[in-house]
Amino acid sequence: MYYPSETQVTPLTNVHHRRMLPAPGEVVVRVADRVEPTQVVAYADIPSDFRIVPAARLLGVPVSRLARCMRVNLGDEIQRGQVIAKRRGPLGRSVKSPIDGTVRARVGGRILIEGQPTTVELRAYVYGTVTNVIAQSGVVIETIGAVIQGVWGSGGDSLGVLKCLVKGPDELLEGKAIDPSCQGSILIGGSGLDETVFERAQGLQLRGIVVGGLAPDLIPHVEESPFPVVVTEGIGTVPMSRPVFRLLTTHEGREASISGRAQSRWDIVRPEIIIPLPTEALPSTQAEPGRPLTVGAQVRIVRTPYMGTVGKVVALPDHARRIGTGARVRGAEVDIGQRAPIFVPLANLEFLR
Amino acid sequence: MAEAQPIGSILLADCGTVMTKAVLIEQVGGRYRFVAHGTAPTAAESPWSDVASSIQHAVERISRIAGRDFFNESGRLISPEVSGRKGVDVFAATTSASRPLEVVIAGLVRDLSVASAERAAGGTYSLVKAVLASDGPGGRLSDEDRARVIRDAAPDVVCVAGGTEGGAGNPVLELVETATIACSLMKPETRPLLLYMGNSRLRRHVVDIVDDSAELRVTDNVRPTPAEENLLAAQEELDALYKRDKMSQLPGVQAVDGWSQVPLTSTAAAFSRLMQYLWHLGGDHSRGVIGVDVGAASTTLAAVFDGHPSLTVQSDLGSAFGGQRLLQERDTHPEPIVRWLPEAMSAGEVRAQLINKESHPVSIGQEPRQLWVEQAMAREAIQAARRVAQPGWRPGAAHAYSRLTPLCDTIVVRGGVLAHAPRPGQAALIVLDGLEPIGVSTLVLDRYGLAPALGNLAAVKPLAAVEALDNGGLVNLATVVAPVGQARPGDLVLKARVTYEDDSKFTIEVRYGDLEVLPLMPGQQAVIELRPLRHFDVGLGGPGKGGKRLVNGGLAGLIIDARGRPLCLADTAKERQLRMQQWIWDVGG
Repeated sequence: MYYPSETQVTPLTNVHHRRMLPAPGEVVVRVADRVEPTQVVAYADIPSDFRIVPAARLLGVPVSRLARCMRVNLGDEIQRGQVIAKRRGPLGRSVKSPIDGTVRARVGGRILIEGQPTTVELRAYVYGTVTNVIAQSGVVIETIGAVIQGVWGSGGDSLGVLKCLVKGPDELLEGKAIDPSCQGSILIGGSGLDETVFERAQGLQLRGIVVGGLAPDLIPHVEESPFPVVVTEGIGTVPMSRPVFRLLTTHEGREASISGRAQSRWDIVRPEIIIPLPTEALPSTQAEPGRPLTVGAQVRIVRTPYMGTVGKVVALPDHARRIGTGARVRGAEVDIGQRAPIFVPLANLEFLR
Repeated sequence: MAEAQPIGSILLADCGTVMTKAVLIEQVGGRYRFVAHGTAPTAAESPWSDVASSIQHAVERISRIAGRDFFNESGRLISPEVSGRKGVDVFAATTSASRPLEVVIAGLVRDLSVASAERAAGGTYSLVKAVLASDGPGGRLSDEDRARVIRDAAPDVVCVAGGTEGGAGNPVLELVETATIACSLMKPETRPLLLYMGNSRLRRHVVDIVDDSAELRVTDNVRPTPAEENLLAAQEELDALYKRDKMSQLPGVQAVDGWSQVPLTSTAAAFSRLMQYLWHLGGDHSRGVIGVDVGAASTTLAAVFDGHPSLTVQSDLGSAFGGQRLLQERDTHPEPIVRWLPEAMSAGEVRAQLINKESHPVSIGQEPRQLWVEQAMAREAIQAARRVAQPGWRPGAAHAYSRLTPLCDTIVVRGGVLAHAPRPGQAALIVLDGLEPIGVSTLVLDRYGLAPALGNLAAVKPLAAVEALDNGGLVNLATVVAPVGQARPGDLVLKARVTYEDDSKFTIEVRYGDLEVLPLMPGQQAVIELRPLRHFDVGLGGPGKGGKRLVNGGLAGLIIDARGRPLCLADTAKERQLRMQQWIWDVGG
């Protein structure tokens, strides 16, 4: 048995969306609460500026005497210019706080003053119901809709209306196709995009782009763009998988949430598009995760020369075969609509779930 | 477990970041032998989030081949074996799948205490997120900036080193103060542990400074004198933290641990144990043993010289991960990765391949250009690990040349990129390029990826480990002769005469720059007589000295690598590509 990896390209499912704070904070919603995309579900105080004041040295006292010179306590909120330590005597030297903040610690002869923290708000990013509250960390929000996971992404989260600017999944998204009607949209491209897209996007408040592939030279542009970009197949000029393209274009005009966040190692995070749908009814049969590969399964090929191509497994040969590199590997015969099935290493197949 | 208990069947498993390997060893005809092996993608992430299930998946194939059931209806391993070929007597597992320990290193002198602290951190799966050396990177930073570096890195551990025994005091204590201040800036539940590994006379002051601002551990000074390094205590402490805070968090690890009478061990530590075992089994203790493990996400060098083990894990560089960071090191010439490619490829194409491999780390290259990039990554990973590890080796008599790899008898190599190279010569060439061994060495391939688990097994059942090693656990990849010396390309540097078991003979003249491969199959032996010229050194007593050695065959034969040490690559891209093509061709394509 071989158990391929899986990517969600699901027309209708219960989406369990995990929203996590970047640092411990407070969750302000409860289980069963209904939430909207822009609603704040949690917030955290992110430490900002701080100062280390070498108080003992400035006062000219040994470290052991600093405690007696302190004019504030740990945890005190203080103002800029406020005396925090002072030598005894009418002419004793004093040390003042360089910033507004809180006295956080006294280590050796130094005093740590931490400025006011910045509050970061975590928004729901999808319509749905809170199903789990992870104390001090985040929430899980359940929504019913379509979900599409990408393989590479950049940028944060956004919300917009899906708009397709290409005729097919193998067409390049060109800057000249972008006009003022794209304002507030998540654009659906095909096999990639050209450099002019970023120039044309300026001032249009695009909410995101979804493409099959991305030329490696454009990665710096994407990383600097103010909106998230999700790549569904891989880096290079790669046509978008047909099921992915079909699902996205079916919902053209609908509002969707897009996240470009990606982490390929340790606690994997996949970029994704979630399209909430106005239904309570789920399909009666949904593919179970963690299935073994069998004949008849629909699979996607994840490496070139057929990267992004979706086909059907027609045979699982018992013996290894030689591939283009000269390696002998176990694989599957996959029907991708050509005259004969092609042999693909098992390791290069994944399920679309 | 008592050695006297009869043990007829052993299941070994290694859960890597990307792949899980399993092997069944049975007692057949009174000896332990490899019976079957299986692999499966590691299921540490969604949808399984359970490494126990990846072992079950890997064992499914073994179950079919060996006609043996391993798990009961509730999915628990049956152990010991019961009648009807159900279960196994012993199960031992290793893992490298968990997230590494994240550390920040602070010390006084970049090349002394800081380097030692880095090597201490390298003794387990750790990721060095920042280095603060008073005389190097971060040396000019203010205390506030240093504290900011530590706070922003949000590590699991801050290692503070510095001060020889009885040496520097105040600068070390200032570092401790800065680290303590950084800890105070974090919420108590996310504060890193502070591991002090500096001047031991300052311990009391360190305890006073840290007070209750952070969890404090104190170990032996990693650099007690400028010439002496003492990593053992610090490495053990960091390894214990890795097990406590990282390995134990791996989903499903409790179930796996519950199946085993042998404690679950980190892959690197078990691999190091096997290298120590091989060194003690080996005949010539004046030479060392090195283990090279190029995993998808990490690279390990486990060496033993003069009885001293040394373990270095690069947790941010493997055959699938870490390549993008390497590509950004633009000041390196020739460019990393690209310099090892036999075909012209733009940096963009290489980057695309690296990202696509990272996105699907289980996947394999189907086209030669993908294979070359993956193999180039393996070369870079071995070299990077060697750069960190080598200054910490204590090679003793094996230390022939200060800047070269010490003399080694055996070099054990493992990892998917090596074990599954399309041709064995490619695997051998990757190791020669990355490790640059000198003299006469035997490359041994861990074909099924179970060497670490055997190292784990050796602790409780040494006989089984030895017999399994001899009966299919490891296979000879090649015997390598690498002369050291200076000459012009094309100069005659070595005459070699090989006498095979059937008394047939083969004589060859080797010129500087050549990579010669002579046929010598696995299981065959031959006597090789080496006569170096121009004061070249083949490790048989010094420059110009030759002699005879009985050598074993391997999958890639007998390789004479006269390309020079250190290996110098050509200046131009075109010339480098032509030479790489030639070398790949020389070792069998």
